[in-house]
Amino acid sequence: MTTKNLTLSLLLLSSLLLSPAEAATCSCAGAPLLSAIDSSSTEPGDLFINYTTEVHEISDLVEGTKDIRDESNRERSSISQVLSATYGIADRWSISGLLSYVEHSRSVGTSFLGEQNTSGLGDAVVLLRYTPSYITPFSRHAISLGVGVRLPVGKDDAGGLITQSEDMHPSVGAQGEILWSSYSYAFNQAATLQLNLSTNYTFNSEENDRNYSLGDEFNFSVGISQSIGTRFGYSAGLRYRTTNADERNGFDIPNSGGEWLDFVPAIQYGVTDDLTISLSGRIPITRDLEGALQFTTSYSYAFSMTYAL
Amino acid sequence: MRFKFIRYISLIFCLPGFVLAQEMALDFSAPMISRNEQIRLSDYRGKIVFLDFWASWCPPCLVSLPAYDKMYRELNSEEFVIIAINVDEDTDDGLDFLEDHPVSYLVLADPDGDVGIPYGIRKLPVSYLIDSQGRIIERYRNYKPGDEIALKQKIKDLLQ
Repeated sequence: MTTKNLTLSLLLLSSLLLSPAEAATCSCAGAPLLSAIDSSSTEPGDLFINYTTEVHEISDLVEGTKDIRDESNRERSSISQVLSATYGIADRWSISGLLSYVEHSRSVGTSFLGEQNTSGLGDAVVLLRYTPSYITPFSRHAISLGVGVRLPVGKDDAGGLITQSEDMHPSVGAQGEILWSSYSYAFNQAATLQLNLSTNYTFNSEENDRNYSLGDEFNFSVGISQSIGTRFGYSAGLRYRTTNADERNGFDIPNSGGEWLDFVPAIQYGVTDDLTISLSGRIPITRDLEGALQFTTSYSYAFSMTYAL
Repeated sequence: MRFKFIRYISLIFCLPGFVLAQEMALDFSAPMISRNEQIRLSDYRGKIVFLDFWASWCPPCLVSLPAYDKMYRELNSEEFVIIAINVDEDTDDGLDFLEDHPVSYLVLADPDGDVGIPYGIRKLPVSYLIDSQGRIIERYRNYKPGDEIALKQKIKDLLQ
């Protein structure tokens, strides 16, 4: 290694060790926690087990609404595995719980020194839902309301000697409170064609051990789903997401927070009467992000399996 | 404290089965699908009743109806009846299906949910096995071909 290369490498390493944690935080949705929860009709005693894995590429550099060409060869991605279960505890009441495992990777430039990987148990979510109205042969409307909590059961001290940016930790490291609701309308008695609306709000007022807190997050989804025959189904929808700026010690972190609008297509196949698999994606349509520059979602895709017991 | 918590959790998880085990079948009256003759469930008290909710647009129902009909004819008992409740919004759709796949048991029409709503029907097919005292002793969902074998045995046991 030449002296010049060694000096450059040391500079890069020291910059990684000393960089403020928020400097390269991406505005990404993280593990698909709430979307992994099965929202289908649950009767008392029903148990649904779902496994979802999502690949999330977060390499778009954006200034406000403008895409910026990234000259740094920076790449950022995460892979999350989410295991969830939904159980019908009583008539109109169900409870869902999920656990996530998250792998983050980030590389800057072409040197191996610019590459960072973290992995570990992520956050858990518990969501209690009340469904006053179901889609049935006699009713076209389904309404469901939920309250939940995101529990920081996972790893939020990834990195060891290296100070990792907040988005590189598998777990947020702080509790969040969740309000959730959904509405569906069936266009026919068989409910093969449905309009689906869903919203959720996560309050992120609690700070983690590094006095960092995520901004509150609001999601709104609208889409159409259709079953074709007894096995196939598809859905297509739009998801609007907005987050407040993250905070450290009560002060806003620059270059965090914003608004996103994504196209979310999905296909489903019923392998058996009890097992359904699906493939879904998330493609950005537009975004308006706070601050000078932010790295954000380029695309994501997910595979999921749901087993009804 | 810990044991108390476990007890509460166990109670919640056992609740659905417990409620079902105690349930009496709700009485109802509905017209036959093919003619305007009212049929009342309580008229069959003293007999074992298999109550089956179905619709022409429900794919599993299209398999279960002929299977139940075969079972009904094989059991051939005066102490056992099947009452099928068609919930098609347009009763003609149910009649069209029955023209192609006639059954030898009673079929009633319930397009407005007068029977289905009190029974809490959400997804089809759903069936209930009701004993001679009018108690629901089993609820069946998500029919799969072959399910009628175990059902037939259960009915035989009840008939003895």
